[in-house]
Amino acid sequence: MSVVGIDLGTTNSVIATVRDGQVVVVPAAHGGYLHPSVVSFSADGLKYFSREGVARRIVDPKYTVYSGKRLIGLSFRSKEVQKAVARLPYELREGNNEQAVFVGPDRTYTIPEVSGLLLGYLRQCCELFLGDTVTGAVITVPANFNDAQRRATIDAGRIAGLDVLRVLNEPTAAALAYGLGQNMSQRIAVYDFGGGTFDITILQVEGDVFEVLATGGDTFLGGDDMDTALLNILAELFRAEHGIDPRQEQAAHARLLIAAEQVKCHLSEFPEARGELKNIAISSQGEQLALRFHIARNVFETAIRGLVSRTIQTTQEVLASVGLAASQIDDVIMVGGTTRVPLVRAEVERYFGRPPRTDLNPDEVVAWGAAIQAENLAHAGENLANHAVLLDVTPRALGIAVAGGFAERILDRNVPVPVEQTRIFTTSADNQSSVRIQVCQGESRRFDENVPLGELELTGIPPARRGEIAIEVTFRVDTNGILRVRARDAATGAAREAAVNVRGGMSDVEVAEAVERQKSQESPIDDSTLPELAELEGLEELKD
Amino acid sequence: MPRQTPEQLANFAKHMYGKLDQLSYYDLLGVSSGTLSSDIRTAFFRMSDDLHPDRYHTMADRELKERLETIYARICEAYRVLTTPEKRTTYDRLLSEGKKRLTSTDRESRAPQSPEDSIKHEEAKKFFRLGMLCLGRKDFKGAVMNFNFARSFEPQSAIINQKLGEAQAALGKPGGPGAK
Repeated sequence: MSVVGIDLGTTNSVIATVRDGQVVVVPAAHGGYLHPSVVSFSADGLKYFSREGVARRIVDPKYTVYSGKRLIGLSFRSKEVQKAVARLPYELREGNNEQAVFVGPDRTYTIPEVSGLLLGYLRQCCELFLGDTVTGAVITVPANFNDAQRRATIDAGRIAGLDVLRVLNEPTAAALAYGLGQNMSQRIAVYDFGGGTFDITILQVEGDVFEVLATGGDTFLGGDDMDTALLNILAELFRAEHGIDPRQEQAAHARLLIAAEQVKCHLSEFPEARGELKNIAISSQGEQLALRFHIARNVFETAIRGLVSRTIQTTQEVLASVGLAASQIDDVIMVGGTTRVPLVRAEVERYFGRPPRTDLNPDEVVAWGAAIQAENLAHAGENLANHAVLLDVTPRALGIAVAGGFAERILDRNVPVPVEQTRIFTTSADNQSSVRIQVCQGESRRFDENVPLGELELTGIPPARRGEIAIEVTFRVDTNGILRVRARDAATGAAREAAVNVRGGMSDVEVAEAVERQKSQESPIDDSTLPELAELEGLEELKD
Repeated sequence: MPRQTPEQLANFAKHMYGKLDQLSYYDLLGVSSGTLSSDIRTAFFRMSDDLHPDRYHTMADRELKERLETIYARICEAYRVLTTPEKRTTYDRLLSEGKKRLTSTDRESRAPQSPEDSIKHEEAKKFFRLGMLCLGRKDFKGAVMNFNFARSFEPQSAIINQKLGEAQAALGKPGGPGAK
């Protein structure tokens, strides 16, 4: 029985484990160590993963789910999901409890179910590789994931048949992988620029204790945005040559996006990229149209400079929130494939005034840390002399709705977890028989401007005049960053405890059903039937 | 420093749990009241190394685990208050008055309030909620109907009349709420 660490990414995922004291990263089908975070569904009930799934983004975009991490744990009505709906080629719809559900060929799937399928696939890859069953996992999440997103990630893990030992913040995992500290006191910045998200976290490391001082980021900023910028450059070149906008057609769009990603990687190593993309679109005469391109790195850099500046601006804000200057940072760790882009490295170096650390593979470093933490947790209580302990903090402030549309803060952001805070409130009307406690996450004074998490109702309050009843409201955040709220009538002792009924989340019953369904339907993975990626021909020239 | 054995942890929990509310933050962290912030941090880190929930993640005894977590949560609270200068100043003043814990109850308390809290009649409240649900779904027709029902039970409620007005406006029907 093994425990694993999983970096469940927006674009790619990585799974690792510890064998004989060494971190081992599980290889992906078709080589490399990155498993694309894609699940493709066919009408006959088959699911396709990895590069097979990626290939189906072109042939079957309607039933190929990617970027699921952008949707997990969010209400269908949230800004983020609505924005995603407008951009994604697959269909999303509102399901039970405001959940966003994917409309598959056979039925609808909740997002934790889709992520659960992906995690199940990763688990199987790992089991094949190790020749051992995988039981427990530490799954990483961006540091600024809210309560609902963390819960949904845990649900996804459960659906995949995994005991989720912990949801761990990605930057903390990266710092753990670097094994920083070692009897030294250091202040570390973890600059994590992934495919879909950007996070910046400031850690204080003393000996083997890691403390998160502050964290911030942007859930809608990543390498994908750079791909889109390059896609637009390619599409404009194509339009200039053929008078057709290839973005209008889904298959051409998907093909260009894949090419854009490869061009980006090429430009990270070489000053220019040239090549030919065949069969992008069909002309009115029925001819296949190709695109010859030649893009210099500085053209690309001009297109992405604004994206990189946003990360530096966020970094500055996060440092300012804890009263630190860039010069007070002892070390900068680079995480995420997007940190390979030379402009990113240059800008980070310029801002901090020191070269960032890039010695561990930025794509794998988070999974490394997760694997180490999984091993630590599985063997807690045994000889742990060399194992670090992570002191994490609440990612956002938590509060409740009070009169006038305001949010009354109960817990600040960036406080060490676990944490418990009790506030005493009173009734606002005579003979008020119940109190509804609406919980939100965020820093705004106005309730509406925060993320609503859910609500809890305390009923059966005995008749009394306004202000005479004392209601204790206790917020408790555990080491996973998961909130529990308890409301108690101090006089009668009547209490309601709830893992707040989260909007946009699956109910316990739904999760239990999904666990059973996946267990009974899981088929062994088959590596022998993987299709050739003929679409990528022509990009070979890039490798020169 | 050697790691605590499960027996030592159990003894510690037994010793601390019952008297948690009698200990000041300084007592909890084992420091004196004049201790510098940086030394408080060192003390907290040392305690975390033993008492962080990750250290007993696999503990089978649920009750002991829960107790240790509660103690550790209080230690985190102590650390947070004593290393935030303005919180520490407030706490030192409260401590001199005999209070061991800085809870927000020492600040002005306000009631959690939902729009329907001011509605007294149960039926009115019920229909008001239904109306709010309709409003949320942008079903303005349903909202107007439910708010009207609510108003029939409690005609003078300001909030019902206000929401009815909003729903009517959204439905495109002119005419205010027309309170009695």
